[in-house]
Amino acid sequence: MKRRALLSVIFCFGLCAFSGLKDALFIIPKNWPIPKYDFSKNSLTIEKVELGRALFYDPILSGNNTISCASCHSPFTAFAHVDHALSHGIDNRIGNRNAPALMNLAWHNSFMWDGAINHLDVQPLAPISNRDEMDDDIRNVVSKLQTSKIYPALFYKAFGDSIISSEHQLKAISQFLLTVVSANSKYDSVMRNESTFSIQEKNGYKLFQENCTSCHAEPLFTNLQFENNGLALDTTLNDYGRMKVTHNPDDSLKFKVPTLRNIEFTYPYMHDGRFKRLADVLNHYATGIHKSKTLAKQLLKPIELSSNDRVDVIAFLLTLTDKEFLFNQKYSYPKNIFHSPPQE
Amino acid sequence: MRIKGSFILIAFICQHSFVFGQKDEKNTLEFLPVFGNSILHLGDSFYKLTNGDSIQFETLKFYISGIELVKDDKLVWKEGNSFHLIDASVIQSLSILLNIKQTIFFNKIKFNIGIDSITNVSGALSGDLDPTRGMYWTWQSGYINFKLEGSSNQCKTRNSEFQFHLGGYLQPFSTLQNVILPVRKQKMQVVVMDIEKFISAIDLITENHIMSPGKEAAMLSEKLPGIFSFHDQ
Repeated sequence: MKRRALLSVIFCFGLCAFSGLKDALFIIPKNWPIPKYDFSKNSLTIEKVELGRALFYDPILSGNNTISCASCHSPFTAFAHVDHALSHGIDNRIGNRNAPALMNLAWHNSFMWDGAINHLDVQPLAPISNRDEMDDDIRNVVSKLQTSKIYPALFYKAFGDSIISSEHQLKAISQFLLTVVSANSKYDSVMRNESTFSIQEKNGYKLFQENCTSCHAEPLFTNLQFENNGLALDTTLNDYGRMKVTHNPDDSLKFKVPTLRNIEFTYPYMHDGRFKRLADVLNHYATGIHKSKTLAKQLLKPIELSSNDRVDVIAFLLTLTDKEFLFNQKYSYPKNIFHSPPQE
Repeated sequence: MRIKGSFILIAFICQHSFVFGQKDEKNTLEFLPVFGNSILHLGDSFYKLTNGDSIQFETLKFYISGIELVKDDKLVWKEGNSFHLIDASVIQSLSILLNIKQTIFFNKIKFNIGIDSITNVSGALSGDLDPTRGMYWTWQSGYINFKLEGSSNQCKTRNSEFQFHLGGYLQPFSTLQNVILPVRKQKMQVVVMDIEKFISAIDLITENHIMSPGKEAAMLSEKLPGIFSFHDQ
């Protein structure tokens, strides 16, 4: 673990030194923890990141070539699926969970609301194969990519091999996602002493630290753990979360703690998208907690805040919006690739 | 005296060690799937269960990993990057050529059935570990260590089918199994795997469908080491 961490740091510094801080593909923000992703096994290059970005936006990954990753993970909403409680896939099929926002994934070592996926590289296999999402098969996707007009050349540029493998495909998607880092919200600039909170935001931050940080730990705003936050079981979905993976009753109704970064844009909230507004979420923690054996101990006592304090907490949460991230051209649809395929 | 000494030495080797590294064919670890006394063929071959009913197999695929040769409990050779997908429908996959350069003496061979937990959490891999090989669960990360599919009228399922996909690397339901085979004779490089021993440990009427990690998969995978043995001639 230590060696990996060191390698990551060396790698990141290497990149920074090589291309100047501004253009580095991946930088560990100041005072952030060491990433969990092992960059030494998949070193970032511009060509690989660009290939991953193309794949992320290309519906060729779905069974009938209609749905891309970006269909449910839009860059303008922190790669979440705004207004859709449950994700939907090809032929208007509805999945059973809310598509989570995607950012700062290098710091995660489990993915999905129940942590069923253990590595960023293999994460795309799940939506690609899920019948209610992209409903394809990785073998078929690789063969579609191989016969496409643009991909053999892009894979050659990125990996020096125009024969496409699932390993290269998956690693390229990881490369793009690893660059998707949100660390420049107002909150971050306050932490860097470059700006200050308003009085409301400051009070909201204090309340947040008193009531929320044990799960939504800074700076990622998630402790990366699985918790039962007191949501009653939706009997139309019967989703017991983490227990499905571990078969351990102690994990019943536990879901991965989501980041709160860019929360202004990632509604609706919770694993099943049951809450539309932040106010609904605060109401839940005040009066809506459903008690069960596995309830997070921090929630045994409801989080009751005055209406003024609630407004202040929300004011603070809005400081987690990172405009530079939301409108970053580096993350947007790669027009150059799809509209002018390289001549062979 | 010299002749007698050499004879004793050879006899000693034959008795206690298995020599690899002299000829290529000797470096090959070969797997032979059987059902009782018959060689196992996939497809339209039928085999008799102990209760008299018939059984037929469509798929037999499994991983062999971590191959090691041991002499008196001392490791003498270890295969690097040792991951092999054995598929009974692909003849070549049934033979593993071990890249042993020097002559070595050993009297035990060790290998795992399945993929270790570190490899299971190592992201996108290639070769026999490529997820396109049909031995990787997409909805819950992890390799399928052992896959056996077929049909028998014992199974009251659609088309009388059974599917055993054994995998899972998380404790307490790890399915990785270790096999240790003592080597006794020179001609023992064929590893027989008797599927009858596995099937006879299962009540197909009640258990015919395992497709995810968990207690059932962990318990059934414990039956796997017992089906492997060296072919005694």
